[in-house]
Amino acid sequence: MESILLFFISIFGGFLGALLGLGGGIIIVPVLTLFLGVDIRYAISASLIAIVATSSGAAASFLKDRLTNLRLAVLLEVGTVCGAIVGFLIAKNINSDYLYVLFGFFLMFSAMMMLKKKEDHRATVDHPWSEKLKLAGKYTEKNGELVHYKIAKVPLGLFLMFFAGILSALLGIGSGIFKVMAMDGAMKIPMKVSSATSNFMIGVTATASAGAYFLRGDIRPEIACPVSVGIIAGSWIGARLMPKLPAILIRKIFVGVLSIVAIQMLVKGFN
Amino acid sequence: MDNLELRISKFLRAGVITAGIFLFIGWMSLLFANGSSFTTFQTYHAIPLSESLGAALDARSWTILIAYAGLIILISLPILRVMLTALIFIKQKEYLLAGIAAFVLITLILSFTLGIEL
Repeated sequence: MESILLFFISIFGGFLGALLGLGGGIIIVPVLTLFLGVDIRYAISASLIAIVATSSGAAASFLKDRLTNLRLAVLLEVGTVCGAIVGFLIAKNINSDYLYVLFGFFLMFSAMMMLKKKEDHRATVDHPWSEKLKLAGKYTEKNGELVHYKIAKVPLGLFLMFFAGILSALLGIGSGIFKVMAMDGAMKIPMKVSSATSNFMIGVTATASAGAYFLRGDIRPEIACPVSVGIIAGSWIGARLMPKLPAILIRKIFVGVLSIVAIQMLVKGFN
Repeated sequence: MDNLELRISKFLRAGVITAGIFLFIGWMSLLFANGSSFTTFQTYHAIPLSESLGAALDARSWTILIAYAGLIILISLPILRVMLTALIFIKQKEYLLAGIAAFVLITLILSFTLGIEL
C-alpha cells in the first residue's frame, strides 16, 4: 500500500509546491521519514531526484518568461555545485540523527521566511564582476514598465550559493529559499528575477548530489519512481490551477503544518 | 529570445515527459512484481548501483532496468542543459561565460564519481 499512498501524496506535494513556489523536498522528506518510516538517507535521495524532475520542467517554462538571468545563473551554479559536493561528503560521514535535527531547523526557518513580507531591493551600483560579465539585466513588469537592474556583492552571493549547495545535498532540498535570500538580500536583485533564476538553478544543484547518490545506490526505484511521477503530475496540475486558488490562505495553513512537522523532525532526531 | 534558448526549453520538456513515462512503466511493473511495501527501506543498506544494475541485467528483469533508464534520463537533463548553455555562450562569442559553464559541467561530472566507493 505504501507505494501507492506515496504516489498520491507526491501528487499533492507537487501540487502544493507549484502553488506556493516551493520545491518538493520540504514535503517529500518528512512524508517518507515520519509517515512511511523510510530511512532518511533514502528519503533525501528520492527527494533530490524529484527536484531534478520538477525543476527541469520548470526551467523549460522559466526560459520563456524572460525573467531568468541565464548569465547570472551560470556563474552562481559554480557556487551551488561546489557546495553540493561538500554537502554530499558531509552527508556520507554524518550520523543520520543529525540529519533529522538539521531538517527540523530548516523547516522552522522556512516557516518563518514564508511569513516574512517580500520587499524588492535595488542595487544602485553594479559590482565590478557584474560589469565584467555583463550580468545586469532588464525585465518587463505586468504593467508594461521596463525595469533595469544592477547586481551588487557578487562574491558574497557566490559564497552564499556555496552554502545553499551544501544544504541541498545534505537535506535533499532544492534550497530555493537560500538562493533567493542570497540574490535578493545580498545581491539586491529584484524578487521576480531572483525567484525565476533560483528555480532555474535548482535542477543543476540537485543533480550534482543526485548523481552521486544514484551511483552510490541510494536512489531506489521503488521509492523514486512513485515520488517523481507523482511530483511531475502534481506540479503540472498546480501550475494550471494556481490562478484559481486562494494562495494566501493555503500559505498560512502550510506555515502551521510546517511548524508541527519541524517539531516532529526535531523530536525524532533527538531521540 | 535566442532560438537556442527556445530549443533548450523544448528539449527539457520533452526529456521530463520521456523520463516520466519510463518511471511510470517501471513503477507499475515493480508494483506488480514486488508489491508496494516499504519495510525493507526502514533501515539503510548500502548497495552500490553497479551491483543492483548487474543483478537486474543477469536476471533480465526489464522492469527494474526501465525504471533505472528513467532515472538516468532525469539526471542527464540538467547536465545537457549546462552543456547547451555553454554552446549558447560560445555562439555569442562570450568565451568567459562559456568557460564558466564548462567549469560547472566538469564539476558536475566529477561530483558523480564521489558516489563510487573504491
